Amino acid sequence: MPREHLLKIGVSGVRGVVGEFLTPALAASFAQAFGTYVGGARVVVGRDTRTSGPMLQRAVHCGLLAAGCEVVDVGILPTPTIQIYAGATLAGGGIALTASHNPPEYNALKLFNAQGLFFNNYERGDLLDLYHQRDFRQASNAEIRRIRRDYDSAPRLHFERVLQPVDVERIRRCRFRVALDAVNGAGSLLSCRFLAEILNCELHAISVEPGKPFPRIAEPRPDTLGDLADLVKRTGAAVGFAQDPDGDRLAVADETGRILDNDDVLALVVDAALRRLPGDVVVNLTTSAAIDDIARAHGRRVWRTPVGEANVVEMMQAVGAVIGGEGSNGGIIFPAVHLCRDSYTGMAFLLDRMAETGEPVSALAGRLPRYFRRLGQVAYEHGRLGPLMQALEESFPQARLDRTDGLKLTLPEGWIHVRASNTEPLLRLAAEAGAEDALERLYARVGQALAVPS
Amino acid sequence: MSAAARSLRISQVGLRGIVGSGLTATHALEFASAFGTFLDTPGPVILGRDPRSSGLMLREGVIASLLACGRDVIDLGVVPTPVVQHAINRLNAAGGVSIGASHNASEWNALKFFGPRGSYLSSAQAGELLDIYHLKKFDFVEWDRLGKLEEAGDAVDRYLEDLATAYDFDSLRRYRVLVDCCNGTSALILRRMNERFGFAFILINERTEGVNFAHDPATTRDMVALQLAPLMKPLGAGAGFLFDADSDRVALADEEGRPVSEEMVLPLLADYLLPRGAGKLVITNLSTTALLEEVAARHGGKVVRVPVGRQAATDALSSYRPEQIALAGEGTGAVMMPRFRFVYDGIASMLAVLSMMEERGQRLSAILDGYPRYSILKGGVPMVSQRIPKLLVELRERYSDGEVNATDGLRVAWPDRWFHVRVSQTEPLVRIICEQRGDPPTALYESLVEQVRRLA
Repeated sequence: MPREHLLKIGVSGVRGVVGEFLTPALAASFAQAFGTYVGGARVVVGRDTRTSGPMLQRAVHCGLLAAGCEVVDVGILPTPTIQIYAGATLAGGGIALTASHNPPEYNALKLFNAQGLFFNNYERGDLLDLYHQRDFRQASNAEIRRIRRDYDSAPRLHFERVLQPVDVERIRRCRFRVALDAVNGAGSLLSCRFLAEILNCELHAISVEPGKPFPRIAEPRPDTLGDLADLVKRTGAAVGFAQDPDGDRLAVADETGRILDNDDVLALVVDAALRRLPGDVVVNLTTSAAIDDIARAHGRRVWRTPVGEANVVEMMQAVGAVIGGEGSNGGIIFPAVHLCRDSYTGMAFLLDRMAETGEPVSALAGRLPRYFRRLGQVAYEHGRLGPLMQALEESFPQARLDRTDGLKLTLPEGWIHVRASNTEPLLRLAAEAGAEDALERLYARVGQALAVPS
Repeated sequence: MSAAARSLRISQVGLRGIVGSGLTATHALEFASAFGTFLDTPGPVILGRDPRSSGLMLREGVIASLLACGRDVIDLGVVPTPVVQHAINRLNAAGGVSIGASHNASEWNALKFFGPRGSYLSSAQAGELLDIYHLKKFDFVEWDRLGKLEEAGDAVDRYLEDLATAYDFDSLRRYRVLVDCCNGTSALILRRMNERFGFAFILINERTEGVNFAHDPATTRDMVALQLAPLMKPLGAGAGFLFDADSDRVALADEEGRPVSEEMVLPLLADYLLPRGAGKLVITNLSTTALLEEVAARHGGKVVRVPVGRQAATDALSSYRPEQIALAGEGTGAVMMPRFRFVYDGIASMLAVLSMMEERGQRLSAILDGYPRYSILKGGVPMVSQRIPKLLVELRERYSDGEVNATDGLRVAWPDRWFHVRVSQTEPLVRIICEQRGDPPTALYESLVEQVRRLA
């Protein structure tokens, strides 16, 4: 792995391999820059279950206290829970220590503003300048505040909001048999409480020990969730849920143990949300056209943004969307709960739809508009990106173009989206079509244009 | 550069400064990382702090760095420095860190580092630690080998149980003792001694405070005179003690309500300890009262004088066998005794004074009246560093008739008086200390101040 990827200080915060790269002094300095940026206000700090969490949290406390901030330590919590709490308690901002779906040797500081939202591009730029300038607020002894602990209010607040739009009693009466894989992450204990106690499910859970290492690749994808699929089959569960270490992403297994495509999970939730609330939908450019079909059926509009949670959130805020997300990575964003990815919203909506319709997950998913998707990636040399994009564009002269994030080409039979990765010299390819053979033809043509062996 | 920014001092005894403008989070994180890299024996690191608000900020940074170096950390919370040292020894720890600026005002803070058994670092070790700090190449471990944090609430009790084996609590607890805790950590110990062992300590300024100390936590006669001494007679106390914030130093008031010079603690304890053990050496610094030589001579003891500062005392201690040493200390009320390990310990010093009263069956004023009167004058003059060598040479020429010691500035001694002119380790000052048997050496002192002002 190239050395530069072991530590990245950029617009998304600080992320790196703990130890030689992401050091306590670096985390503290970044926190002190953050504390300076929020003017010494109250800052909420929480973390996921990574072994480096306690160490980094202390470093972050140190930097925040040094900037004169009051620290509210909310302990181990899913990222959305931390964001909701930060926004609801009128804190000056929040920091979550989590590298989300990255491997266990990584950790990161995720930064939230006073509304509990990810910093927008402009805020991130300001903070980064402050960090590099090193002219931090330095509180004197008399100005140094305390660390307050509040481990209980945040989950309560989060669940209240998640359950508001669903019929809790109806779900409870169904006593669904549910399988859960929480990857020993921040959601381990909360998800058990949520499903078993609050929603009265018969819960069969694996990897719900927050003190233990991640038992699988942290990102919840069909190819990493074999254990969940087995659990569903073994227990005869009606549905299976998988989270990532910080509880913002959700993957779903149907009652046969088949892991649903993340785009289909989003589509089911968008459908459920639009049945309850009027408003538009925001998804990224790589998300399935199924969303367009569903929105059309409800008479609603779909807005497309560049890839990235922050981009989707920004657009959702701007257009007042009722639901949104990113299909490919399992992110569901429901602003009535909070403008952030939230696995609990997804679980609640799905269980509610199951209770409402009395249908199994496979049937609900089976009624979604049917599309075929293919993802891939191809390495490119620095400086070759422009000509590659040019070649692609020229080979589809009849396509509708969208250049807001790489290049998206929309054709009658489907679409292609090609974008450069933010972290590596890779082109990420996504293609979707209404028929399998159409998809293969589309993908092959992309391959030819980019001179990729297919 | 502002005076506050110059307050930072990183030296062999650790780092200290005014928090924010001098001492920052980054200093604490990097120095603790250096300490984690420096430690080479296995075992956890013990951590304690005094009640200053900034102690919390520094603690979080120290914990983060030690965990990152793969060290388990046991945090004792707000406790006296001697309790940290005691716990290092008891728990067989690799070392410890005490966060607290002892006698300094509340805006200051400091980090003190200890090795195995709670000992102070030798000059060689401290030098190595400093080199690692300056090089900034730290041994951080990988994510699956990071240290774990544990919080321990029993350190004070374990310390007191050990203290009870060294001192006769049964006879000492009947003394009515008034203590000015100066909002520091001594209150935690003394309150527990009242609860658990039935002592009769009356505490003032006993609420631990992060910002507003009742007065400077300096163990000086002036601070004793402020609140402690005037209350002695009204409360009918037999002895009065003042502690600094982290309880390693102590000062006295007698039952008559007289504030006692901070210089008296060491001679008093020397007089008590010299006849009791085999050790005949008293280790002290060049600025401490000459009464010590007189007291030592009564018991066939010998005074070894070393440069000012804990580092010189630590190095001197390690150059003798422990059984040769009766005690070590300085005129600030910081004393180490072999009976309760060689660490500066104000609580143990207090118990030794009470034991002395008990054994002799005398009141404190009577014991103190048994010593000849010495008068000491102390002052400071702002300086320019580059002019110091010339100042010292000129003074040495001028006072060539006395016995000269030039190991730390200049000390010149005559049979009944002496002076010491030296550069402060903590402030940009030349310190002038001048003592005479009997009346104050006012003329000599004023002349010295005048010369230093002219030359420094």
